[in-house]
Formats: sequence, structure tokens, C-alpha cells
Amino acid sequence: MQALSGVSLRVEKGGNLTLVGKSGSGKTTLMNCIGGIERPDTGSVLIDGSPIQSLTERALCMFQRRHIGFVFQRGNLLSFLTAAENIALPLHLNDADSKTINRRVAELLNLIGLPDIGPAMPHELSGGELQRVAVARALAHQPSLLLADEPTANLDSDTGIGIMQIMITLCRSQGCTMIMATHDLELIALADRSIRLRDGMTVTYTD
Amino acid sequence: MKTLKRIIFWWKIAFLFLFRSMRSTAILSLMLMTAVAALLFLSALAVGVNDAMIRNSVSLYAGHITGFDIPGNIQKETLKASGVITVLKRTNVSGSLIFGRKIHELTITEVEPHAELTYTAIGRKVVAGTYPSETRGQLLIGWSIARKLGAQLQDTIYFTDLAGKYKIPLRITGLYRTGIDQLDSEIAFCSSGSLPSPGHNWTAAIFLEEGVSPDKIISTYDRRFHNQFQFKSWATLMPDLKQLIDLNYVSMSIVILLVFLVVSLGIACAFVIVILKTIREYGILKAMGVTSRENALLIVCEIILMNLFATMLGILLGVALSLLVMETGIDLTAFTSHNRYFAVSGVIYPRLTPFAWGVPPAMAFLFSLLAAVWPAILVSHRRAAEILRLV
Repeated sequence: MQALSGVSLRVEKGGNLTLVGKSGSGKTTLMNCIGGIERPDTGSVLIDGSPIQSLTERALCMFQRRHIGFVFQRGNLLSFLTAAENIALPLHLNDADSKTINRRVAELLNLIGLPDIGPAMPHELSGGELQRVAVARALAHQPSLLLADEPTANLDSDTGIGIMQIMITLCRSQGCTMIMATHDLELIALADRSIRLRDGMTVTYTD
Repeated sequence: MKTLKRIIFWWKIAFLFLFRSMRSTAILSLMLMTAVAALLFLSALAVGVNDAMIRNSVSLYAGHITGFDIPGNIQKETLKASGVITVLKRTNVSGSLIFGRKIHELTITEVEPHAELTYTAIGRKVVAGTYPSETRGQLLIGWSIARKLGAQLQDTIYFTDLAGKYKIPLRITGLYRTGIDQLDSEIAFCSSGSLPSPGHNWTAAIFLEEGVSPDKIISTYDRRFHNQFQFKSWATLMPDLKQLIDLNYVSMSIVILLVFLVVSLGIACAFVIVILKTIREYGILKAMGVTSRENALLIVCEIILMNLFATMLGILLGVALSLLVMETGIDLTAFTSHNRYFAVSGVIYPRLTPFAWGVPPAMAFLFSLLAAVWPAILVSHRRAAEILRLV
């Protein structure tokens, strides 16, 4: 069974694309291929002109560390690190100094509207707070590309829209390209472009 | 510098994982801590058993070192050295005991009764009568010899040397039984001067302080007397005891190895369960660009830290238990009363040695590293997407 077949798309730098489709349509597989955590059997993924599927494992990890941020539907945070430590993680992986890390973490906590939540452990946070911290962590290292796989699926609509707006605002301010998978129609309306997938194939483009 | 910083970072993450998952850490550590404590105590006990066998064997009669054929003009004081508690002077004369028409061949040893009673345990093995006093002509013989000759306490028995030069009367003042055939039927004791043996060379029984190496003292004597006289340690004179002691160490090492094999398998299984429970987090890390090597390093760091924590507690517990028992000892007389190597006392005093301190924790560390292999492979070989799909 092919999860994806004949999918071809292009996203401009700083753009905002939504992948729409029912469960099993291939949204997650496409996101994973774009993000390098899954290798396509055929075809290529080019990010800023670099074909990522031909990179060695180490080179791919370095690329992901520097250029890609992921937000998943659930379980994004490391349970044994505080919110601040979770946000700082990508900065540590990119060898930032402690001064830069502290400044950036404080800045992001303010931007997501949770300035005091740094010392809290993940199990102490609500669903919405968890996802906001996950967004902050995904963007902490100012990646080129943010991939969000149904980040609002487990949230109520108001919270979900709030998360989406934070993501769009932060991405625009950093010049980060955003690709988000969702089946929420209200969120699709907030995106610049959307692509509908069905059975692993592109069905429609919408601007 | 960057590599060092990164290594420190992963150690910090490992520490936070263990510290903030205190319940899992405590449960995982309990197994290792108990194993280290138990094996440390068992090692100390094994050393104690060896000490008891040596102590029993040397203190009964022979001493740690035996010096042979020392000329009469050499005083026993010249054998004093650092680590030597005492030197007992003994003169051996081979011959026959005659009682009526019965004869028994043996060696009579002339001793200094007061010193012998102080430093050897033969006196405690007297089953009838008393140990010879300083008075000449008193004889202590084995109970089995007396039975063979049909002699009893206070009987006068005659001793003749091998050359038949003399035949002197001796009065049986005591009977003893050690359970060691060589001592019971081939030797008898009388006080110095009881036999006409002028100019006889003498034998030294040298007793050492605990922990002093007999070989070191023998080297000292060899240098002092220019290898003129022969000195042999208990290990040379009692090769069966030496083998038993070595066997005890080997057995203990095998026990430690087997226990830690089992414990490390347990730790690996337990860690795999913990990792499977939190595998999504390792998948998230991979999606963030953490390499397989770094993930494996994280797991190894977690296991090493947990091992250090558990081993420290295990050492404290094991040492406390050993110190507690060290004072009173463990009385195993019921299991050793017929054993020649426990002829004096069946009480075992555990002793902490580098073997006891070092081997269990070292094995714990080694096997913990082995235990890290399976979980590390589990996480490293799976792709991030695979892991994230699992949960």
C-alpha cells in the first residue's frame, strides 16, 4: 500500500501551507518526509535547494537540528524537563551559550503569553499550555521550516485558533516557512494556501 | 571543547531524567543496591572464612612460619622482626614410646609450656589431665596414643631415641585430641630439658600479626641469615589449605559473576520497560536532530549514574552489615566441628579487603554497561517516524 503517490508541491520561503485530509490520507507521511524523519522510496525533498534525502544520518540530524522545528499532536515535551528546559533544548543542541539561551527562552515565554510558566513541569500544564510551549520549543532555534502535525487536534476550537495564530505570528516574525497538517476547517481559513490530500495523492490546491 | 560541552550536557540531561523520575530510579536502583550490598558482605564473609581456616591452622600449633634446623647457639630473639608477634622454640626428638610390651613411634617435641599455652591452642585441646608445666619429665600425649598403648594419666612411660642411646621415664600428665591425625598420633609434648638432647638443632614456630605477609618475613630472614636456614610458610607446609583458600576465592568470584549476570539482565529488562514507556520522548529527540549516538550516550549516562547511586548505597549497606557482624562474628561451630581446618574455633569474622570492597562494585559497573547495550540499540536503530507511530 502506498502512503503517498505522485505528490509534488512547492512552498515559498516564509510561506504558510496547510495540508488537509482525512485520517490516512498521507498528511503525516508527507510531513515526515519533508522533515527528514522518514525517507521517501522515490522522489526528493529540497529545502533551500538542498536535497535532504541524500544526506548521511549525521548530516541529516545536523540539518534538522538547525533548520527544522516539529510540533506534534501530543506528547511533544520531555516529561522530566521543565517548560523552560524544554524550550532551551534546541538551543543547547545548536551549541548556544547560556546567556543567549536564557534570553531567548524568556523572550519566547513572553511571546506565547506564559511568562511565568518556565519552572513548571509538563504534567502541571493544561493542553493549550503544553502546545504553546511546544510551539516555542520548535521555534526557539529560529528554524527555516516549522512542521506542525495536527497540533490542535486535542484542543478546543478557541484554544486551537489561539495556537495557530501564535504559530503564524512567530513564523512571520522569523521568516520561517510553516507547513501544518489539519482537518480543522477554521484553521484552514487562516492559512495562505492549502493542499487537500486523499489516499496519498494531491487532489486540490487552494490559495 | 564543543564535544566536552556536549558530553556534559547529556550527563546533565541523564541526571535530570533520573532525579525527576525518582520512583523509577529508586526501584531500578533497589535491585542493584541489594546485589552490591549482599555480595560485598558475602565477599567479606568469604575472606573471614579463609581467615578462620588460616587462624585455626596456624594457631593450633604450627604458626605462620616454621624455621627448620636452627642451631642451638642461635637465640630465638634473633628471629624477632616487624610484624612478628612471637617465636616459639621447639626441639624435636624422634623415637619410641614404650609402655609394657607396647611400642609407638613418634616425635617428642620439647616446648616452653608457658609460651605454648599463650600462643597456641593445643592447651585447649587437652581432654584429660593438664598441659605440662615447667617441671621436667611431664608428658602430654594424644588420646589415641594412650589408648593404643593402654596407658592412662599419671602412668610412667618410657621414651627411647632412634639410636637407642637412652631410655628415660616420663609421666603422662595430660591427654589431648585435636582431630588432626598427624598431630594426635605422631607428636607428643614435654617441657624443655626433659630429654637429654644437648646441641640439638631446634625448630621455630613464628606467629605473625594479622595481615602481615609470611613471604615478606621469610625474605627478611633469608637476608638476615644469608639463606643458611630453611623457613617455610603455612602455605608451603599446608598446600591443601592453600588450595582450599584459593578455591574459596574462585568460588566467590564465580558467585559474584553469576549474580551480576542475572542482575544486569534484570536491569536491562527493567530499563527496556522504562524506555518503552518513554520511547516517544526518544522519538521526539530524534525528530529534533539528536543522533543515534547521542541517544545511546544518553541511555549509557543514565545507567552509569543510576549505577553510581545504587553502588554507593550498596557499599554503605554492605559495609554497615559487615561491621555489625565483624564485632561478634558468626558462630558456625555446628557446621565445622568435624573439620580439621576449624579445630580451634568455628566463629567467622567477616573482613573487608580490597577484594570485598572493589570486586562487587566493579562488577556492578561492568554489567550495568552491558545492560545499557540492549536499550541503547532499541532506541538507536529505530527511526523517529517509526517510534512516533508506535505510541
